[in-house]
Amino acid sequence: MGIQKDMVKFNVGGRIFQTTATTIANAGRDSFFGALFDDNWDLRQQQQQPNSRQEFFIDRNPDCFAVLLDLLRTGDLYIPSNVPERLLYREAMFYGLTDHVRSAKWGPFDGNRLKLSRSVTGRAPGDGTAIRAGPDGGCCVAHGSMVHVFDWMLEEHPPINLDYQRVNDIGWINAENVLISACERLGKGDGGMGLFSSSTGDLRHKFNVVHDNQIKSFTAGALGFSPDYKIFASCKGRSNEYGIGVWDQVTGKQMDFVYESPGWYLGDADKLQWLNGSNCLLVATLFPRKDNCYISLLDFREKRMVWSWSDIGAPLTIDEKRVRDAIAMEECNSICVVNEYDDLGFIDLRINGGSVRWSSRSRLLKGKLPDEPCYPKLALHNGQLFSSMNDCISVFCGPDWVLTSRLRRSYGGSICNFSIGGDRLFALHSEENVFDVWETPPLPVI
Amino acid sequence: MSNQKKRNFQIEAFKHRVVVDPKYAEKTWKILEHAIHEIYNHNASGLSFEELYRNAYNMVLHKFGEKLYSGLVTTMTAHLKEISKSIEAAQGDLFLEELNRKWNDHNKALQMIRDILMYMDRTYIPNSRKTPVYELGLNLWRDNIIHSGKIQSRLLSTLLELVHRERTGEVIDRGLMRNTIKMLMDLGSSVYQDDFEKPFLEVSAEFYKVESQKFIECCDCGDYLKKAEIRLNEEIERIAHYLDVKSEAKITNVVEKEMIANHMTRLVHMENSGLVNMLLDDKYEDLGRMYNLFKRVPNGLSMIRDVMTSHLRETGKQLVTDAESSKDPVEFVQRLLDERDKYDKIICQAFSNAKTFQNALNSSFEYFINLNSRSPEFISLFVDDKLRKGLKGVSEEDVEIILDKVMMLFRYLQEKDVFEKYYKQHLAKRLLSGKTVSDDAERSLIVKLKTECGYQFTSKLEGMFTDMKTSQDTMQGFYANHIELAEGPTLVVQVLTTGSWPTQPTITCNLPTEMAALCEKFRSHYLGTHTGRRLSWQTNMGTADIKATFGKGQKHELNVSTYQMCVLMLFNNADRLSYKEIEQATEIPASDLKRCLQSMACVKGKNVLRKEPMSKDIGTDDAFFVNDKFTSKFYKVKIGTVVAQKESEPEKLETRQRVEEDRKPQIEAAIVRIMKSRRVLDHNNVIAEVTKQLQSRFLANPTEIKKRIESLIEREFLERDSDDRKLYRYLA
Repeated sequence: MGIQKDMVKFNVGGRIFQTTATTIANAGRDSFFGALFDDNWDLRQQQQQPNSRQEFFIDRNPDCFAVLLDLLRTGDLYIPSNVPERLLYREAMFYGLTDHVRSAKWGPFDGNRLKLSRSVTGRAPGDGTAIRAGPDGGCCVAHGSMVHVFDWMLEEHPPINLDYQRVNDIGWINAENVLISACERLGKGDGGMGLFSSSTGDLRHKFNVVHDNQIKSFTAGALGFSPDYKIFASCKGRSNEYGIGVWDQVTGKQMDFVYESPGWYLGDADKLQWLNGSNCLLVATLFPRKDNCYISLLDFREKRMVWSWSDIGAPLTIDEKRVRDAIAMEECNSICVVNEYDDLGFIDLRINGGSVRWSSRSRLLKGKLPDEPCYPKLALHNGQLFSSMNDCISVFCGPDWVLTSRLRRSYGGSICNFSIGGDRLFALHSEENVFDVWETPPLPVI
Repeated sequence: MSNQKKRNFQIEAFKHRVVVDPKYAEKTWKILEHAIHEIYNHNASGLSFEELYRNAYNMVLHKFGEKLYSGLVTTMTAHLKEISKSIEAAQGDLFLEELNRKWNDHNKALQMIRDILMYMDRTYIPNSRKTPVYELGLNLWRDNIIHSGKIQSRLLSTLLELVHRERTGEVIDRGLMRNTIKMLMDLGSSVYQDDFEKPFLEVSAEFYKVESQKFIECCDCGDYLKKAEIRLNEEIERIAHYLDVKSEAKITNVVEKEMIANHMTRLVHMENSGLVNMLLDDKYEDLGRMYNLFKRVPNGLSMIRDVMTSHLRETGKQLVTDAESSKDPVEFVQRLLDERDKYDKIICQAFSNAKTFQNALNSSFEYFINLNSRSPEFISLFVDDKLRKGLKGVSEEDVEIILDKVMMLFRYLQEKDVFEKYYKQHLAKRLLSGKTVSDDAERSLIVKLKTECGYQFTSKLEGMFTDMKTSQDTMQGFYANHIELAEGPTLVVQVLTTGSWPTQPTITCNLPTEMAALCEKFRSHYLGTHTGRRLSWQTNMGTADIKATFGKGQKHELNVSTYQMCVLMLFNNADRLSYKEIEQATEIPASDLKRCLQSMACVKGKNVLRKEPMSKDIGTDDAFFVNDKFTSKFYKVKIGTVVAQKESEPEKLETRQRVEEDRKPQIEAAIVRIMKSRRVLDHNNVIAEVTKQLQSRFLANPTEIKKRIESLIEREFLERDSDDRKLYRYLA
C-alpha cells in the first residue's frame, strides 16, 4: 500500500485540517467544495500542480469547520457547547451545507418516535387560527390578522399581513411562497387572498374573483392545493356569491368557480382537501359553523358533486356526537371524521349517502373537558392518522387505526391546530400562542 | 440657503445597520470582474477560488447582490459580443468549428463563474426572483450569439446544407453537427425547434417531394418501396447520430407523407408491379415492405386490405362460378384450399398476421363460397373422397391438418344444414359399404363439427356410428346362438335406426331362397331379443361376396351389390335369362336393375354376363348369359355399380326440397322460443332474432320466416296485436 493520493489539506482561519477528497466529495457539486473538483471528482489543484501538497486557505471559523467536517465524515451532527448554533448555520450557509445540516439534525418522520425538540413562544395570546408546516422544516402561524413565518432554524422572518384583515387560513405554495386567505373589509376591496414571499414578507400577488366579468371583493376561507398547480379556496362574495374558487398557481389567474346550490354549503367550508386518486376536492362544512355538517366531493371536470354526506335529519344522540373535522383517506376508500369526544368515525366513500360508523374508544376523556375546549383536528401522514384533542395529539396506525402514541406537553392550553410537514410536527396551543416542534431523532448509531 | 439652514436642525437617525463603505463594494466587484475577464481569457489558473468565493459571499451578505448580478450581466454580455464578432469573422467551413469552440469555452467559463457566485445563486437569486447564473449564461449566449442577425441565418443555412450534402451521399463531420445541435437543445427546446427543427422539416419535405416524384416516374412498385424504406432508415439513423430524439416522429412523418401517403394509390395500382401482381406472384418480401411502410400512414393498411379483398373476391368468384371447376368437386375444394393457403401464407409472412387482414380474408371467402349453392355438397364430397381413399398412407397429423382446413371452409358456409344433409348421405354410404379408411379420422371430424355447431348438429351422425357398433354385436350374438349356420352363406346385417340415417324408400327385392331363409332366421332372432321393433330390409344398400366358377374352370370371388347378387344367383339354375325373366324373378325396380345389369354386362374387364344383342344400353328385350370366357388377373373382382357420384339434377332438387322442408320446423321452433321469452315483439325484430339464432346452421329466408309466422298464427301459437298489426303476441 502506498501513500494515500487524495489527501487534502485545509488551513481554516489558521488551523490546519487534513482530510480526503472522498470526504469532501460528500458535500456535493452544489457546495463550496464542489468547485474544487473536476467532472470526474478529481481534485482540480493537484492536476495543475501534481507534486505540490499545498494547503488550501479558507478565511472562516475553524471551530465550525471542524463540526461541519465531522458532518461530512460521519453524516452525524454534533454541536459542542462552545459553538453557537446560529453561527454554525451561517457557516453551513457559506459552504452550501445547509441541506446536510438539516437532514442530520432530525430523522425521517415517524409518528411513533416523535420527541419534543422545541417550544416557541408566540406573541399574542389566545387567538391562534392556524399553523402550517413548510416543505423544508419551517412553519407559519396565523393569529388574528398576522402571520408569522419561521424558517427551519425556527428563526422568525418579517411577519405577513393582508391589509390587516383577519386571517382564515394559510398554506405553503413552496419553500419561498406562502398563501394567505383573509376576511374582506366592507366596501374596501381589502382582504381576500394573497401570495407572499416567506423570506422577505413582500406581497407578490393578490388573487381576484370575477363574477359576471367584474372583479369583486371576497372573503377567502379554507385553502386547498393540487399537484397540478391549482389553488382552491372557499369564497364568500358580497352578493351571495358563495362557492369554491380555483386559481392557477403559475399565472395567478382564476380558472373556475363552483357556486354552492341552495341547501348545501361550500362557501363556508372549514376544510378543503385535494384527492389525487379520484381527482376530486373534498369540501367539508362542519358544526358549529353551520347547524349541520356537509361533506362533499367536487369534480371540477364535470362541475358537480360526485359524492355527498350530511347529518341533516339524523337523530341526535344524547351525547350529541357532531362531526368536528374530516379527512379523506383514499387508500381505505373512506373519510375519517372526529367528534368533540375524540371518537373516530368512518364514512364509506364508495357509497353515496352512507352513514358514519363510529368507533368509540375514548370514553375516559368524557366529563373532564377543559374550560375552553378546542375543536379536534385530524391529519394523515404516511399511513398514520393524527387527531388532536385538548392538549394532546393521538397517533393511530394500522388497518384498524389502533392508538399507538400520544403527544402531550404540560402547558400552553389545548391545541387549536397542528400540521405535519418537512419531517416535523407543529402543534399550536390556544391559550398562550405557544407552538411545539416535534421531531423524529436521527437513527441510532448502530 | 434655506436648505442649508434646515440641515442644521436635522438629527441624524441612529444607524442600526453598519453600512459597508460603497467603495468597498466597488473594489470587491472590480476583483470579481477582473476574475471573469481572466476566466474568459483562459487565465483562470492564477485565480484563488477561495478569495473570489468569499468576495462574492461578502457582497451578497452586505446587500450588494443587485450590483453583483447586474455587473455579471454587463461583463458577460460584453464578452459575448466580442465572441460573436470572432465567430462572424470565421470563413466558410471554419464557421461551425469556431462556433463550437467558443461554445465550449463559454460553457467552461460559465461553470467557473457559477462556482464563484454559488452563494449568490443560492440565496440572493431565489429571493429576488432572478435567473440563476448558469441559465443566465445560456440565455445571454442565445441572445447575443445564436440570435444575432449575422449568425442566425448563417448557422441555419450551414446546418441545412450539411444535411442536404449527407442526403446526396457525401460524408460530413457528424461530431461537429452533433455538438452544434446539442448546443441548440441545451439552449432550450424552443431554440432547437424554432431555429433548426421547423426549417429542417420544411426543407426535408421539399426534398422528398422532388425525390419521390423522380422515383415514381422511373421505378416499379417494389423498387420504389425499397428506396422509400432506405430513406426512412437513413432519417432514423440521422436522428440517432446527431438530432433530438423528439424529432424522430416529426421527420419520419415528413418522409412518410411525401414518399408514401402522397403516392399510395399510384403505388398500389401500379401496372405490372402493383399490389395485385405482388399477390399473384407471392412476393412476400415486397408485400412485407409495403405493409410495414403503409402501416405508418393513415389509411395505408385499409387501402392494402381493400385492394386485396376485391382482388380475392374477384378471383374467388371466378373460381366458384367457373363451370369447368364445378365438374370435379374434389378439384373444386382443393383449389379453394390452395387459395386459402396462399393468402394465409401471405398474411402470415408479409402482413405480420394482422387480425384485420385475417378478417378480410375470412369475409371474402364467406362471400364467394356461398355464391355457388353447391359448395356444401362439394365440401362434403371432398371429405368423402379424402376419407374413402385420399388419406391412405398419410400420417395422423396430416389428416388432422386436412380436416382442419376443411372445417375452415365449412365455417364460411351459410347453409350448414345443407352440408349436414349431404354429409349424412355420404357418411351413410361410407359406413354401409365399409369404405371408410380410418375410423379415427371420421370421429375426429365429427368432434370438430360438434365443437363448431353444437351437439344437435352431430347427434344423428353419432347415432350412425353407434348403430354400426351395435350391429356388430348383434351379429356376433346371432351366430353364437345359431352355430348350425356356420356352414353356408354368411349374413351380415346392419341394423339402422330410422331417423338417424338418410331416409331411403324401402323397395325390397326377392332375395335368393338361401338368403331369404337366413334373413328370416335373423329377423326372428332380432325380434326375439328386442321386442316392439320393426325390421325392414334395405336391399338397395347391401353388398355381397360370391364365389363363381366360369366355363374354363376360372374361379373368382365377385364383390357385388345385393341386387347384382340376386341376378347372378338366378344363373345357378339357368344359362339364359331374358330381361323380363330377371325382372320378374327379382322384382328389382327397373332403373336399378338396368344399372346393375349394365355394370355386369357392359363394363370391359368386369363383364361376368354376356348380353344379346351386344350394345351399350340395356333393352327390355335383351337376353343374358353367363360369360364363360370371363377372365381377370385378380382372384377377387369388384364389380361396381354404375353410380352417379355427383348428384344428378333431379336428385339435387330433391335434396334441396328436403332441406327446405327440414328448415321449416327449425324456423318455427326458433320463432316460438323467441316469442315465448319476449311475449310481444314486432315483425322486424322477430326476423332479426330468428336470423341470428339460426345463423350457425343456415341463412333463413325472410319470406320463409314470414310464412312460418303465418302458419303459427293459423295454429294459434301467436296472434297479431289488435291495434298494431306489426306486433305479434305469444299465446300460452
